[in-house]
Amino acid sequence: MTDTVSFGIPALDKAIMNGIPKGYTILCLGSPGAGVELFAKRFASVNASKEAVTYFSTSERDEDVITTMKDFGWDTNIKIVNIGTMYYEKVLAKHLEVSRYRLEGLTMKDIRQFKMAQSKEDDFGLQNFLTTVTYEISKMKPPFRIVLDSLNFFLEYYNHKDVLSALRTIKAHTQHSGGVALVTLVKGVMDSHIESGIEEIVDCIIELERQREDFEFKRNLLIRKVRNHPEKTGILAYTIDEKGISAKSVG
Amino acid sequence: MAIEKPKKDPATVLRDRCPTGIEGLDNILNGGIPRGNTILFTGSCGTGKTTLSLEFLVHGAIAGENSLFVSVTESSDKLMKNVIPYDFFDETLIKKGTLVFVDMPVIYERLGLTEMELSLEDVNTIVKAIGDLVDELSIKRLVLDSVTSVCYRLKTEEKIREFILKIGKTLSDRGCTSMLISEISPSAERYSLYGVEEAIADGIVLMGNLERRGDLLRTLQVVKMRGTNHSRAKYVLDLTPAGILLVPLLKGGSGGGTT
Repeated sequence: MTDTVSFGIPALDKAIMNGIPKGYTILCLGSPGAGVELFAKRFASVNASKEAVTYFSTSERDEDVITTMKDFGWDTNIKIVNIGTMYYEKVLAKHLEVSRYRLEGLTMKDIRQFKMAQSKEDDFGLQNFLTTVTYEISKMKPPFRIVLDSLNFFLEYYNHKDVLSALRTIKAHTQHSGGVALVTLVKGVMDSHIESGIEEIVDCIIELERQREDFEFKRNLLIRKVRNHPEKTGILAYTIDEKGISAKSVG
Repeated sequence: MAIEKPKKDPATVLRDRCPTGIEGLDNILNGGIPRGNTILFTGSCGTGKTTLSLEFLVHGAIAGENSLFVSVTESSDKLMKNVIPYDFFDETLIKKGTLVFVDMPVIYERLGLTEMELSLEDVNTIVKAIGDLVDELSIKRLVLDSVTSVCYRLKTEEKIREFILKIGKTLSDRGCTSMLISEISPSAERYSLYGVEEAIADGIVLMGNLERRGDLLRTLQVVKMRGTNHSRAKYVLDLTPAGILLVPLLKGGSGGGTT
């Protein structure tokens, strides 16, 4: 019997193999508003007291992640590595400074401050955040659970081949260590061949689909890929309410 | 009927001078560099360009003229150590802020000029930044070491011309006398790597090496200097702890023994 861990959504666990097999890397994708980020937080919280959980956030502050999880009553015993905040501090804040220096002029104080900051910073220069992610993941010991929300950030700032290569590294470590990893992707932003490249690497694909029907949204959870188990692919209906995400079989 | 006064030759009109403090060079230039001029100090490596320019700044700082060294290739911390051994150097000049060193890579970084090839807009940004520093610190003497390294990132003749013209005007408008250090290969048949710099500068001082009787002499020759008459003879340059000494080539060269 396959050793599995829970998604945190019973109907989804049941539809696959009573959970996700250890060693699997999952892709959760969907259009904006479909609930991909919430799905990622639910996944992170399921077994947080028993597994080491690292949540890589690229677009939310730490407190936003924690507050959302608390609102739904989920376990927040997770480690957050905030790539978005790092990117702001290391790159975007510098861009803002550059705009100021260009418009207001550069002073000796600005130059001296820079030299002092430079001497304190070991990692001066463009930090590779992909490396930060893979380094953090390489330190994780089983049982662990990784959430990377989202791949779009990396695909926007780095060469696509490098992102796919990093994803392969994450997958390899997850596979060999018997952990689980979930990566998210906003659908339709990247070229289809990039999406296909990602879909080829991961072991399981969950797509959250939201369709408008008259005056309401109909939500479908598509199990699009389960490695070596094509019979497990299928469609569930899912709802999001104050208790979180729940799913049920359709048809 | 009014008698028309004869027009004076511009070269004979005595312009305010910026003494370099290097006695031999000031003699060649009839008292110093015409104030506000932008001079190209050009030569191959090891000819004493940086040392001469540092001495020019130190003498200026001692005389109370705020002086700025903009270093493009070498760290200013290292350069500062180079001037400390000189007898005429006084460390308090740096502490008081009369002699200031700035690293060009810091300016590049602060202004977000991270692309290897700079644009015309970037040229304006760099010139403005240097002009702002000259204003802020009331700089009267400036050295850019080297202009060749800046030009290397400009690539095209159009951008190099724009840069030299604008930096020259910006500094001149502020009454700042400037030395632009230019690197050329020993075999070069012109005075600057890109050929544009020499056409635009107010003056050209050529520095070179000359082998004589088994010794390698450093030489200096003022090729062009707007605003003053000057000797165009070649001089031997000797770097001593007391500063740079210049003697005419025939006398200095025959004796040898320069370091």
